[in-house]
Amino acid sequence: MTRQRFIFLSLAPALTVLGLLAAISTAGAVWFSVMNRALRSPDYEYVGFYNYLRLLRDKRFFNALEISLIWELITVTGTLAVAILLAVLVHETVKRPLWRNLICFAFLAPVLLPRVAAAFIWRFLYSPSLGLANWFADLFGIGPIEFLADPSIALVSVAVVDIWQWGLFFTVILVKLLETLPRDPIEAAMLDNARVWEIHAYVTLPMLKGPLISLVLVKAVESLRSFDLIFVMTGGGPGTATETLDLYAYQTGINLGGRVSYASAMSILLLIATTLAFTLIWRAGRKWSR
Amino acid sequence: MVSLILRNMARAALGLVVLVALTPILWTTLGAFKQLRDIVTPIPKLFFTPTLENFATILGNPTIRDGLVNSVIVVAVAVGIGAALGIPAAHTLARHARRYGDDVQFFVLSLRFMPPVAIAIPFIVIYLDLGIYDSLGGLILVYLVTTISTVIWLAVPAFDRVPREIEEAAAMEGCTEAEVFWRFSLPIAAPSLFGALVFTFVLVWNELLLALTLAAQNATLPVVAASITSLGKEVPWGVINAATVVLVLPPLVFIGLLMGLINTMVRGGGRAKG
Amino acid sequence: MKMKRLLAGGVCIALLPLAAAAQDTAQCKGQLASLSVIGQGMPAVTALDAHLAEFNAKWDTEVKITLLGENERRAKARLDASTGAGAYQVLYIDEANLAEYVSAGWVHPLADVVPAEYDLADFRVDLANVASSGGVLYFAPFVGGGDVMMVRKDLLEAKGLGVPKTLDEMVAAIKATHDPDNKVYGWAARGQRGSGMNVWRWTPFFRAMGGEWLDGETPIFNSEAAVKATELYIDLMKSAPPGVGTFNWSDSVEAFRGGQVAVLIESDVFGPWMEDPAKSQVAGKVAYAPPPEPLPSAGWAHGWAVSSVGAKDDCAKVIAGDFVGWATSKEMEQQRLAAGIASDIGRVSTLQSEAYRKSVPQEYIDAVLATGSRTNLLIMASPAWPEIGDTLGLALEELFTGTRDDVQGALDEAVFAAEDALSRVK
Repeated sequence: MTRQRFIFLSLAPALTVLGLLAAISTAGAVWFSVMNRALRSPDYEYVGFYNYLRLLRDKRFFNALEISLIWELITVTGTLAVAILLAVLVHETVKRPLWRNLICFAFLAPVLLPRVAAAFIWRFLYSPSLGLANWFADLFGIGPIEFLADPSIALVSVAVVDIWQWGLFFTVILVKLLETLPRDPIEAAMLDNARVWEIHAYVTLPMLKGPLISLVLVKAVESLRSFDLIFVMTGGGPGTATETLDLYAYQTGINLGGRVSYASAMSILLLIATTLAFTLIWRAGRKWSR
Repeated sequence: MVSLILRNMARAALGLVVLVALTPILWTTLGAFKQLRDIVTPIPKLFFTPTLENFATILGNPTIRDGLVNSVIVVAVAVGIGAALGIPAAHTLARHARRYGDDVQFFVLSLRFMPPVAIAIPFIVIYLDLGIYDSLGGLILVYLVTTISTVIWLAVPAFDRVPREIEEAAAMEGCTEAEVFWRFSLPIAAPSLFGALVFTFVLVWNELLLALTLAAQNATLPVVAASITSLGKEVPWGVINAATVVLVLPPLVFIGLLMGLINTMVRGGGRAKG
Repeated sequence: MKMKRLLAGGVCIALLPLAAAAQDTAQCKGQLASLSVIGQGMPAVTALDAHLAEFNAKWDTEVKITLLGENERRAKARLDASTGAGAYQVLYIDEANLAEYVSAGWVHPLADVVPAEYDLADFRVDLANVASSGGVLYFAPFVGGGDVMMVRKDLLEAKGLGVPKTLDEMVAAIKATHDPDNKVYGWAARGQRGSGMNVWRWTPFFRAMGGEWLDGETPIFNSEAAVKATELYIDLMKSAPPGVGTFNWSDSVEAFRGGQVAVLIESDVFGPWMEDPAKSQVAGKVAYAPPPEPLPSAGWAHGWAVSSVGAKDDCAKVIAGDFVGWATSKEMEQQRLAAGIASDIGRVSTLQSEAYRKSVPQEYIDAVLATGSRTNLLIMASPAWPEIGDTLGLALEELFTGTRDDVQGALDEAVFAAEDALSRVK
């Protein structure tokens, strides 16, 4: 087998399947976005850019855009911070493989919960009168805290659940990654009497730049689709304090109005916005990791 | 001396963090054995008369079994195909097509920017025409976007970190590209690929919206889990807790097996090197 | 009672043409490999499992019930009908989307598909009203009802108060019993946004103040009545447990059942919950009464309908129709009662039966019967309602949680959005 053929055979199937499926879904969404299809009736007609123009006048859309942005920032940085801190802590304090594996196992559990189930569990934990969280707060003389009803903290409260699921999961991945690192540079640093945190900040973590950037971006994409979690916990409320774009699109497109076309237009705009934003981040990230 | 104190403090801190992180899970497990009366109280109860009723409700529910079978099939096939197509592609992107690698890699990620709401409706229409609406095959097909792209995305950096010297040495000794990939790069990258596979697995295992919209009778576990959360007008907290415990076990076992598999692969790789 | 019979008569006449078709139905045995049904985990649905074999044998088919949560169920049923997928022959619908299903033509009138032997006239009038559009019954309601007021006798007696009869008395009782330092709150209500959530509980107040949804085709729920109702609702929430601004029905019912709340107006189905000592801490301490004058009672119903998208050919229609009739029949309800399930009652004959009287407190039955005449569909009967209701719910939630405080302005915005939604219906 020649080199060219190997390259072709390894790339072609994956990219063909991906390209085909992506083309279908994008074309479908674009098609619906210039129609006025609603679930209520099977008839629809071409309306040009009406949906897009209406979106530009839609206050809720811009609010959702803003919430999505904040949501992205909180969940991605939160997940990363939790993962790095915990992974280093585990890596440094737990040396026996058995214990380490047990901890990894336990940390995997949250992310394996169906999101809907996780949301219900936390909803109950957060309950101002019946939940564990407020019972603890009460012990310290604070509260009751209205975790999900107070517009100023509701988004953070939901984000905590997301970080709980993904942060612990990323911890496991990072622990595994740290194990794969070559020992030489670390031992060299240890000979220099570097402190533990210095070794990690200047030696090990920079070695993991590439994988970290990948993880951050893929988590950022996952954060774009958190509607099931938010939907169960707050339904987007109070008011629109936790209404992200994918939740708003779900609400208008399938759940309430059944305005398929409007939701499609929203999705296309979201697609464009994310592509732009992520291109910039990706370029910057590549430059930094080289 | 100081380092000993520090070490113990770090241990204690870790213990505390682990405890806090697992409290929701432990509390849920406890709740699974409670009657509703003991769950819905202002003062949390640690001691109560346990009941197995909640588990009986869950395990006696045939939809859970069907959902589990459907989920296992869909996820196994989707992740399997994703790995089979994605991992070689990632290797090629990392090694042989570095010039386009970045752009292709980004393109692959960008395929997931579209919110599932917008994907669902076109796919319903197309699937109805093709006659694969409400079939496991249809679900697998649409999940392939997720699995292939995520595998590629996460596997490229894994292969990037395989030392080039090893591959070059192998090539010098007359190994073809395929052999280099299969006998050297793959085993060395395996521990990092583990993360990629688990990640992909988690994504499709928990996918709700497409499963809900593209299948009817062939519901997967997230759909079933969503249905358990409302039994009658009552929110059955005990049953939700029990369901959570039951639903988290199969994937944990699966990941345990995968971990073991990777470990043997790493050892195998070591031998090949020697 | 006379009214009930009159209404019943109307439905019976509509049934007559079906008798002719009945003789062909026997041929349909074995013609449908499986009957797909959307369900929500109500006791009436889950209890059916034990009896399905009987139906399967009758038609040589296999009934497959897909159980979903309420939101998923709504999304799924609507997608199935709207996209023409038609994977389900029997759809599960409710008061909030009936108008939409009827105007889109997704469901058969019940009388056209359900055999006469199942006595459609026996459904409770309050439920049948909600399950009908333009006088035609579209789904077979097996659960639903109106409102009931539940009060803690012990808490009220401690303050020397009786069960409130008027709205003013109720407000006074709520304020008197409110004692947050001891974790006793006067009131609880739904605050979470949603047409079936906060809007649902707010609507009786709105209607009691004389509010109307529409003037002709113009939405007018930003009237003075609406403002007054909202202000009262917000005022009462000050005497409620923390977090009430986003409570759903479960939160408020659990708060009451957990012994923290003195007065609660909720759907009457929640009444029997309070008397279950395994789950309730207030069993035996609760008095039941109709909502105080002039609050009307908000009627709702869930039930099964035969999908015109999913049940296209004749045999599918026959078997689906027979299923709906069989699953919601008098006999089925009696079997449920015998199995100890007293919560989902759709038929007058069951309410009057000995078995039912034995299983719930007499005071509760009296309260439900006394409320019956005041129970109506209070929401706007329009296909655009789910969307309009959600926007209104959003505005109300913002007011309840203090995100904004200009009641008039919030309602004006909801009305403005409703105009757009209504214009698209036509």
